[in-house]
Amino acid sequence: MGLAFALPVAVFIISLNIGSYPISPRTLIKVILSVFSPSSYPDVPAALRDIVFQIRLPRLLLAVAVGASLSVSGASLQALFKNPLVNEYILGISSGSAFGAAVSLVFLGKGFPPQVAAFVFGIAAVIAVLIIARSAGSHIVALLLTGIIVSAFFSALLALVEFFASPYALQALFYWLMGNLSLATWRDLALSVPLMAAGVILLVLLRWRLNVLSMSDQEAKALGVSVRREKVLVIVGCTLATASATAVTGIIGWIGLVVPHLVRMTAGVDNRRVVPLSASLGASFLLAADALTRSLASFEIPLGIFTSLIGIPFFLFLLKRSRRVWL
Amino acid sequence: MEDASSFVIRDDLGRDVAIPGRVERIVSLQPEASRILAALGCVDRLVGLDYFLAKYDHVFRLIVPGLKDIPVVAYEDASANLEAIIRLNPDVILASPSDPHVPDALQSKVGKPVVAVSSLGHFDKLLEEIRLIGRVVGRSSRAEELIVYFRETLDLLDKPLRGVSPADRPRAYLAFWSSLVRTPSSYDPVAAAGGRNVAERLAPVQKGSDTVVVSLERILDWNPDIILVHGNFAPPERAVTVDGVLGDTRLRSVKAVRDQRVFYTFGFWYWWDPAQVLVETLYLAKLFHPALFQGLDLEREGNRIYKKVYGIENGYSVLCRSIQCHEWLKN
Amino acid sequence: MSVSVRGLFLTRGDFQLKIEGLEFPSGKLTSIVGPNGAGKTTLLMCLGGLLAVPRNRVFVQGRDIASLKDAERARLVASVPQEHNPTFNYSVLDFVVMGRAAHLPLFSLPSGEDVRAAEEALDFVRLRTFALRPYFELSSGERRLILIARALVQRADILLLDEPTTFLDPKHEMEIMELARRLAAERGQTVLLTLHNLDMAVKYSDSMVFMKGGGVFASGRPREVLSDDLLEAVYEVKMRIVDFDGRKLILR
Repeated sequence: MGLAFALPVAVFIISLNIGSYPISPRTLIKVILSVFSPSSYPDVPAALRDIVFQIRLPRLLLAVAVGASLSVSGASLQALFKNPLVNEYILGISSGSAFGAAVSLVFLGKGFPPQVAAFVFGIAAVIAVLIIARSAGSHIVALLLTGIIVSAFFSALLALVEFFASPYALQALFYWLMGNLSLATWRDLALSVPLMAAGVILLVLLRWRLNVLSMSDQEAKALGVSVRREKVLVIVGCTLATASATAVTGIIGWIGLVVPHLVRMTAGVDNRRVVPLSASLGASFLLAADALTRSLASFEIPLGIFTSLIGIPFFLFLLKRSRRVWL
Repeated sequence: MEDASSFVIRDDLGRDVAIPGRVERIVSLQPEASRILAALGCVDRLVGLDYFLAKYDHVFRLIVPGLKDIPVVAYEDASANLEAIIRLNPDVILASPSDPHVPDALQSKVGKPVVAVSSLGHFDKLLEEIRLIGRVVGRSSRAEELIVYFRETLDLLDKPLRGVSPADRPRAYLAFWSSLVRTPSSYDPVAAAGGRNVAERLAPVQKGSDTVVVSLERILDWNPDIILVHGNFAPPERAVTVDGVLGDTRLRSVKAVRDQRVFYTFGFWYWWDPAQVLVETLYLAKLFHPALFQGLDLEREGNRIYKKVYGIENGYSVLCRSIQCHEWLKN
Repeated sequence: MSVSVRGLFLTRGDFQLKIEGLEFPSGKLTSIVGPNGAGKTTLLMCLGGLLAVPRNRVFVQGRDIASLKDAERARLVASVPQEHNPTFNYSVLDFVVMGRAAHLPLFSLPSGEDVRAAEEALDFVRLRTFALRPYFELSSGERRLILIARALVQRADILLLDEPTTFLDPKHEMEIMELARRLAAERGQTVLLTLHNLDMAVKYSDSMVFMKGGGVFASGRPREVLSDDLLEAVYEVKMRIVDFDGRKLILR
């Protein structure tokens, strides 16, 4: 567990040093200290301070929060759905958020930050899934199928919005969809991190319950679990965490799928360990991915694309290796 | 069947295209080319159009009163209605060179000559384009007239600017395409107006475009004197705004923000409108060097340019109504 | 009486369960037998609260099962499913500890006491040495025992087992039946199980319930209730009960 804390911190410190504006580690330390006692470091230019505290720091903190949120959500839903191929977007959050962002960017314009609508519609999608699946008894298969249908519905709506939008107004939407942390501001953090934290904390508290819920519904009920209520709680936690993350950064895929697998491969399937370790590894993973996108080329590769490029071959590798984690 | 007076031209993709002697029916999938057709006085030959010009251009409906009646044959998703194009029986099709495979594919499917042209942010390429299209439609003299007029207008700026040293030419960062981090590597109006585009030596993200993606840190590293925000969008549609940039805590140490020198400029609107880009250059000159161009009445000169290029009255005033550009200099 | 049923009429698809009145003796092993489709599993699920039943029909420890919350009910009745298709490869101990869910508040983790309860249960089924083995490595007989161990940590007085011996080889079959008998005899639990193997049922049960067509055909102590005619009526096959070595065997 010590490693679980140390790893993200280490990656964080390394990432703080990376960026297109060259800042040496020594300068970096000076900059950080200059905030606490400006008088001791009078020669630190405002630009450097702003780069560290207004650009890099919020970005890295967001990477930690989002990486943890997506990974924990993915891990929890994999347990809940008893299916390791499930990811955090399975209940329609990505399609709902994309649609929300599109509506906001195209129809509400600059006055409205797309994050709000993205969050609202991400949640709306999950609520729709829960309500519709309830009529089928909220069984796992019903939830999965309804998730697919609701996702498809919002995707269709999204295509409609794109059709009616002017091409230049659409561009902001495309950048959003590709997923990126590069424009993170403290305001984004202030709004989204508490929500992500709430979701993640809820899931961490429920981590042992996830073990029981990963049995069949009937078994869980026999063991004394209020299956429907606890399922909904888990979904609420995942939705809070994922929708608020997606609203701010766009769609960053594959983390919620790959990270929990990696954790299970090395630390076993007990969710008491899988959930917190997923948070730690997810945060580190996203920090590292973000650092790479910043340093590999003169322009930044969109993060969502990058995680797909890394995630897909990794996932294939995992499929071959881990025969004993699941059937 | 080619008649005796057909000739061969070479387009922007290096394709040699055989053009018939008489070009009466033109389908244009490239808005910049369509605008040039209008400037050459051949817009009555336009039988097929793309959606962008039909729906989004601010001034074209003024230039072409019968705009609504021209069928739209190319759509938002970059697809073209091949059947409609074939039915329109054009003599020539004007297309964009952004996707290098499209012109050849189009030419073989429709069986008519396709010419790919665009300016890509360079004045000399724009003038080449005018000359080329002029040749295609047999209006070479009008084309030359436009080219001369263009150069003369730029000369009006060039003379006073000759005395300005490089250090006094403001370094400008252009935030285009609804994004703080997307900027054009080539945007000639900036240099022509006595400024310097900080991004001009960067390589574009893809061939056929001149978009470069940078990072916020890069902008702070450049520390531009002026930031220009893409203003061709109607105000409600602007994702990036001057106020937004001025209030952005991450950019507050940038010289342009500290000096409050953040302005809108026109920017691309599916490449250029030849009249608009001339006006833009004048506008930027006033912006970069207010003392030198104090006497320049932008509205009057703007309307004059539109009259000269398109033969319409108050073209610039109409533009102002759409994008509020008359407010941009009020600081 | 630990478990009693009064006037239970349930329709499930095409099938109808009709039970006027039935009581299961506490602290005893009762097997529920009958042909396929007789309603054995359905009845068991009703008794375990896994199928919704109307109020005042099924009582466990004198309480109406329909009025109990899930956790409360699980502390009174433990159900062991016939099949278990795991997705994740938990260790045996982690698996058994899950049985403590009814005793743990929502956000709690199992404590040392819970783990000890699990270890005790493993002791009882004689698989303590398997504690750290991954579940997938167990044979089906061992898995059944682990499932029972998990039910034991619920500390419920009533234990329901659905076809616990099906698909097992004779050795494991006997092991399970022995275990069931010990649970009733040594720990005073009320054990109900559904069985196909009549010989086993006769050998180990204190009481038997014969079901057919959704209803109870007969019930009582094996000695009292068994007869050739009964078996023919229930199974529609001629059978003969034979005394052999002090035991009853059923021949077809």
